[in-house]
Amino acid sequence: METELQILWAAVVAYVVGGTLAVVTLVLGKRRERTILGLIACGLGLQTLSIALRWERLGHGPFITMFEILCSNVWSLMLAYLIAYWRIPRIRGSAAVVMPLMFIMLGWLMLAHPGEGHFPPTYTTPWLFIHIGLGKVFLGAVLVAVGLSCVILLRRAGIGVSRFQQLPPDRQLDELAFRCMAIGLIFHTLMLIAGAIWAQDAWGRYWAWDPLETWAFITWLTVAFTLHARVTFRVSPQAHATMILMVFVTAFLTFFGVPFISQAAHQGAI
Amino acid sequence: MNRKDVATGAASGGITINLADKYRAVVGLMRRLASLRLTLILFALLACGIVIAYQLSEARTWPVVIPLLLLAANLVAAVATNAVFRRQTALLVFHLSLVALLILVAAGRLTYLTGHVGVTDGAIFDGTLIDAAHGPWHNGNLASVRFISKGFSIDYEPGLHRGPTRNQVAWLGTDGRWRDAEIGDQEALIIEGYRFYTTHNKGFAPVFTWKPDGGPTVQGSVQLPPFPMLQYSQAAEWTPPGATVSIWIMLDIDEVVLDAEDHTRFRLPKNYKLVARIGQERYEMQPGGSVRVGDGVLVFEGLRSWMGYKVFYDWTLPWLFSACALAVASLACHFWQKFSVRRWDE
Repeated sequence: METELQILWAAVVAYVVGGTLAVVTLVLGKRRERTILGLIACGLGLQTLSIALRWERLGHGPFITMFEILCSNVWSLMLAYLIAYWRIPRIRGSAAVVMPLMFIMLGWLMLAHPGEGHFPPTYTTPWLFIHIGLGKVFLGAVLVAVGLSCVILLRRAGIGVSRFQQLPPDRQLDELAFRCMAIGLIFHTLMLIAGAIWAQDAWGRYWAWDPLETWAFITWLTVAFTLHARVTFRVSPQAHATMILMVFVTAFLTFFGVPFISQAAHQGAI
Repeated sequence: MNRKDVATGAASGGITINLADKYRAVVGLMRRLASLRLTLILFALLACGIVIAYQLSEARTWPVVIPLLLLAANLVAAVATNAVFRRQTALLVFHLSLVALLILVAAGRLTYLTGHVGVTDGAIFDGTLIDAAHGPWHNGNLASVRFISKGFSIDYEPGLHRGPTRNQVAWLGTDGRWRDAEIGDQEALIIEGYRFYTTHNKGFAPVFTWKPDGGPTVQGSVQLPPFPMLQYSQAAEWTPPGATVSIWIMLDIDEVVLDAEDHTRFRLPKNYKLVARIGQERYEMQPGGSVRVGDGVLVFEGLRSWMGYKVFYDWTLPWLFSACALAVASLACHFWQKFSVRRWDE
């Protein structure tokens, strides 16, 4: 366990250095995008190794304890943002917003106890990977949208207007955020379907309005409402950005809050 | 134009005006029905319906079905009155899939069945459930469903963490032939649309033969509380068929069946005695032992295990899956068409 934790610490250091560099270079008006990309990729590689070692040792993936869930989510969120950072160079300045958000999760991860948990028999199914994988894509897409939304809101609030000038205008950021939310809706829907199939197999019911299912449905409604509001009512970029932040808060509470409060069988280890 | 033509023209004009008025009224009604504000109200109504369904066991269907059908009507009206759906086929298909989903969920609530049953190894399930809830239009044929539990195995990790459940069963097909199957945590036994799922509830069941004086001999079992969940309360009260006195029985196990410190497997105890209390009398029974109870003799045949099953029936499941798949595919298609017009990094 020592080795995997040391490797995880090394990954965290790489993420923190990359994130700090993103903030500092934005403030100083300099560009070190390749270095930041390399540091995030390096952190992701190290974290992948750490997760693989733990998986090999325990015989199951990171799906049970709070430590494992946080670790796998940091991994998937970093991967999602890395892909966006790599493929859409115009939005790289948003790393100065997204990486500090990730620092909160990294801090939480470092405080979580890395002990082991029991792998229940209902988790021995491919639907575990499908359901959780789809949920991770959803959260990753929403994270990218949140980064762009934060830039829009900060500009509107007059904070860092000149610093964020390297990013496209609000309208274009809004369009990109909308696209990310659309991807989020599709993957959230797929996650609900996969979860329903799994629940039918595991517990003999596809939907029972347990706390996690109810909150996942509320999250789906907020995503659908946000997309509808932008298309139907043509809301302003800042109104759309605010709604995206609300979706993120709802999703975050659903994924990381409800499973640890609910006493229902469905613990939703995403 | 003669007088007759004028009269006809006026009459047809009147009909045209009436039809146009009716059309406008219908469109107006549809537009009101398509309101997004109404959608929000109906979602609130659905939330209330779900709470009612959970609080009141006698009102589990209509409080959910009515808001679902109203939501379907709201969505149909939105599709009918909004011109965007006529221009964008994928979006139209997505919303129609949602309508289908709402109707299917409502239909499922009207015809569903859920329940529980415990089946002793070697005994035939006779279609009777311990507890059941079903929609008002449920018309399945559970009474004709037959299967036998032929035993099960469950491994435990240290700390009595339950591992996989493997349950061997034999079930009677509609052609009258018995077939074997193995079911477990992710694998249900499906007979005539009824799905039987193994649960964590299982335990021991003493098997008795009841020989009433002058009556037919009956064999049956008494399922004791779940083991190991209630391992220190292995007792039950039971009245043999036709008897006038009840019997309190307790399984006194004189060994550690499941060792919490080690890897272990669910099994029947070897060292045990069955304590029977009839009125003020107390008897200790071993397999083959008998005792007189009022107007008959009770013979303890031995100990078997029982498995608790969750029973579920909902004919809409494959249709729900199809509607969901269509909804996601059409939504993905819609966004693909929309976003492929402009590159992401432009």
